[in-house]
Amino acid sequence: MSSDGSERRKNKRGIWGWLNPYHYNFERWAYTFQRVTGVAILLYVLGHLGDTSFFVGGPTGTGPSPSGWAFIGSIFENSFGHLILILIVLVLFFHGVNGVRLILAEFGLIFKKPSAIEYPYKPKSLSPVQKSLIWVGIGVAVLAALWAFLVLFEGMG
Amino acid sequence: MRESRLMLVQYVTAVVAILLVAVHLIMQGVLYPYSTAISFGNILSIYRNGFYAVFLETLLVVVLVHGFNGIRIILHEWKQSAPWSRWVDAGTVLAIAVSVGYGTRTVILAVFGGVTA
Repeated sequence: MSSDGSERRKNKRGIWGWLNPYHYNFERWAYTFQRVTGVAILLYVLGHLGDTSFFVGGPTGTGPSPSGWAFIGSIFENSFGHLILILIVLVLFFHGVNGVRLILAEFGLIFKKPSAIEYPYKPKSLSPVQKSLIWVGIGVAVLAALWAFLVLFEGMG
Repeated sequence: MRESRLMLVQYVTAVVAILLVAVHLIMQGVLYPYSTAISFGNILSIYRNGFYAVFLETLLVVVLVHGFNGIRIILHEWKQSAPWSRWVDAGTVLAIAVSVGYGTRTVILAVFGGVTA
């Protein structure tokens, strides 16, 4: 490293380097998606706190308000709002199933025994169960999104 | 609180959130048609049922603690220094307090408030 730290700065890729899974393995993509979906879900939850508050008339309301609820419904209860909900269901189910995988891994339940690193440098401690659970997460998320589509668009046509 | 305890909080809230969100989604999309589930009268009856009011408050706290603790974890992974950690931890507590407070206000007003226009 150079004395002025320029080499260190050159190698410091910042948040985009941390977030970018390109050139990394499948599990690294799952790591990135877990965080991206987590942030997306939290943003939705905060928005949901805002819209449900209109059930009691919004920030200045004092009790259950049919007009406040009708107002917020007129904004979000449409095809665009339902598409957002379907996307949220998609990322929510992936986040949930992948989160269960991470908890199992954290407690050492789905690891194989580590062994010497050899070409092509695939991590040998990652078991097929781990990879399968990522695919299960993707599959469950797609099915849940289809279910949400059927529920939300029922009777809209 | 030690980091290991906070990670345990993250895992426990994750498992509880999965169960509570599953019940929430079943109530919104399986037990009734969606249009009925989001009707004013149905939601009022849910809030005014003591069990579901406690359920919704628990869901609120669990999801927000999990969400903001998750953001805290991301920010700690991104950058490490003692002042940064203190700011991130303090911000997390504040964000949880404000958001839980606002959501709890909705629950309390929905349960105890008089119906307005």
